[in-house]
Amino acid sequence: MEPYEIEFIGENRIISITPNFTHDKIYLICGEFGPFRAGLPVNVPLWLAIMLKQKQKCHVIPPDWMDVEVLENIKEEEKRSRFFTKMPNEHYMVEAKLILGSAAEDVPNAPEIKTIIKDIWDIRMSKLRTSMDALMKTGGGYGRLDHLTMMEINSVKPLLPAAMDNLLRMQMKTKKTAPSLNLNSSTFSQSGSSQNT
Amino acid sequence: MFAEKVIELIKEVDRNPDTIDQYNDEKIRQIIEEMHLLFKLNMNDANATTENRSLWTTVQVRHSALERNKRCILAYLYNRMKKIKTLRWEFGAVLPPDIRELLSDDEYQWFSKYSGNLALYMRSLGQDIGYSGIDLTENLKPPKSLFIEVLCVVDYGKLELEDGDVVMLKKNSRHYLPTSECQTLIRQGILKQIM
Amino acid sequence: MESTEELQFSDDEEEVTAETVLKTLQCAWQNERLSPEILPHQNDMVECMLGQIQHMERNINKLSKTDLRTSIHKMEISRIKFIICNYLKTRLNKIEKYCIPILNQERQRIETDTNYLTPSEYKYAQEYVLNMENHMKNVVLNKMPGNMQVFEMNKMAEHPNLQTHVFLKANETINGVVLEDLTGEDEEIDLEEGSQHILQYKPIADLLKNGKVTLL
Repeated sequence: MEPYEIEFIGENRIISITPNFTHDKIYLICGEFGPFRAGLPVNVPLWLAIMLKQKQKCHVIPPDWMDVEVLENIKEEEKRSRFFTKMPNEHYMVEAKLILGSAAEDVPNAPEIKTIIKDIWDIRMSKLRTSMDALMKTGGGYGRLDHLTMMEINSVKPLLPAAMDNLLRMQMKTKKTAPSLNLNSSTFSQSGSSQNT
Repeated sequence: MFAEKVIELIKEVDRNPDTIDQYNDEKIRQIIEEMHLLFKLNMNDANATTENRSLWTTVQVRHSALERNKRCILAYLYNRMKKIKTLRWEFGAVLPPDIRELLSDDEYQWFSKYSGNLALYMRSLGQDIGYSGIDLTENLKPPKSLFIEVLCVVDYGKLELEDGDVVMLKKNSRHYLPTSECQTLIRQGILKQIM
Repeated sequence: MESTEELQFSDDEEEVTAETVLKTLQCAWQNERLSPEILPHQNDMVECMLGQIQHMERNINKLSKTDLRTSIHKMEISRIKFIICNYLKTRLNKIEKYCIPILNQERQRIETDTNYLTPSEYKYAQEYVLNMENHMKNVVLNKMPGNMQVFEMNKMAEHPNLQTHVFLKANETINGVVLEDLTGEDEEIDLEEGSQHILQYKPIADLLKNGKVTLL
C-alpha cells in the first residue's frame, strides 16, 4: 500500500471542530453530523474537518493526546519499554500530519508537539529495525507486533515480508537438498553459517 | 550458438521497464527461422538415433534450444503485452500516434481487444441500477482538497470560487485558495504562490 | 437528504445501514489490496454504494452550487468512488496476472456456488485468456515448427505466492492456528483479539475470508 492510501484510511477518524457557521445536520453516507452551531464543538470525520478548515469555516479542536505533557509521557514510556507501546490511536501520524499541516494555528505549542511526535516516531522506527533484525536472525516465519500502526508497518514493506519469504525459500531448498539431516529452523539460525551438505 | 539471439530480445524488454520499444519483427523472424532449422536437423537425426546412439545428446541439446527459444519469445510477447496494458490505463482507448508506431499490427489488435474487454466490464458496473458514472481508469488516487497560499500581485478584484465563496484580490493581499482554481491566475502573473 | 435509511439485501440477511456497508467495503478493499490471491467478491456492497452515489448525485443537482452541502457531498462521493475503483482495479490486476489458475479454480467453485468472481469478472477473465492465447498463436506459435505450436496453458500460468508473509490483526480471539514448520513439527499459536502478527498467508487465508482477521 502507498502512504497516501493509509492516510486516506486515517482520514475517516472522527475529531472535533468549532464551526463558525450554523447549519442543520448533514446526512452523509458515512454517518450523520451536526447540527452545526457557530462556536459550539461538533464531531466530524478528519477529512471533513480539514476541508472546512481550509475554507476557513471552522477551527480544529486538537485531540486530547496532542498535548506537550501527554506526548512527553508517551515518549518516555516508548523509550523505557522494550516493546511497542500503545499509541493514542491507530492513525496518530495521519492525524498529526493533517492537523499540524492545515490547522497548526489551532494547536497550542504546535512546533514543540511536532518535534515530540517526530521523536516518538523515530524511537519506534528504531525499535522496529531492531525487531526485524532479531526476527530474521531467529529464522522464524512468525512474529507478534502489537500496537504498531498501519503507517509504521507500511514503512517496512516490502523489505521485511520479502526477506522472510526469501528465508523460507532458502530453508525449503536446504530441506530438499539434505533430506537426511534433521535441520530444524532454530539450529539453522543459531549457527549463523550455512549448514548445507 | 543456439538460442543466443533470443536473449537479445529479452534484454530489450528488460532494459526499460517503464517504456516500450519498437516491436522487433526482424529478430522474431530470425529466431523462428532458427527454430525451423533446429527442428529439421532433429527430425533427420531422430530417425538416425535408433542406429546411432551418439546422436542422442545432440538431439537433446537442439531440443533444449528449441524450448528455450519458444519460452523466451513468449516471454518477450508477454512482457510487451503487460506494457501495452499500462498504455490503456495511461492514455485511454486512443493511443498517441508516436506510441502506436511502436506496436506491431497484431499487438495493436490485441490492445483494441483488451480495451474493448475493459470497456465491456466497466459498462457492466451499476448496469442493474442504470448508473454509468464509474470509470476505473479515473479515481485512481484519493481525492484531496488541495489548497495553496498565494500572494496577490496586482489589484484584480473579485474572484468567485466554485463553491460560491467570493474572494477580494487586492494588491499584496494573501489568500489560501484551492489549487485548481488558482492555476490560471498564477500563469497570468496575477497571483504568486508562496512557498 | 436521508441516507441512513435501512437497506435490505435479501430475505435471509439482516437489514444494514449504508454506513455499515461502506465500512465493510472499505475493509474488503484493504484486504484485497494486501492479499496475494483474489478474495471472494463483495458485489452486493459495491452495487449498494453505487446506488447510494447515484442517489446522492441526483440530490446534489437539486442544490445550489454555493450550498455548503454540495462541496461536502461531492467530496464524500469522490472518496467512495476511489474505494470502489481501487478495489475493482486491484481485482482486475489479480485476474489478469493469475488468469489461468483463477479460471481453473472458478470453474470448480461455480459448481458449488462459492464463486469468488462476479459474472462480469468471470467473463472478463475468459476473454482475457482467449485474447492472450490468440495473440500468442497468431504472432509466433503458428509459425513455429511442428509440435512446438502448442499453447501450453500450464506453462503460461502465473500462480500467487500463498506462502508470502503478511501482517494481520485478529478481530476476535482465534485458537489453534497451525503454522507448518519445515521439519514437519507444526506449531500451534493463538491469536488474541486485537493482537497483530506477521506470518505466512496460507494458514490464515480462510480466517481472512471469514472476517476473523484483517490484513494490515
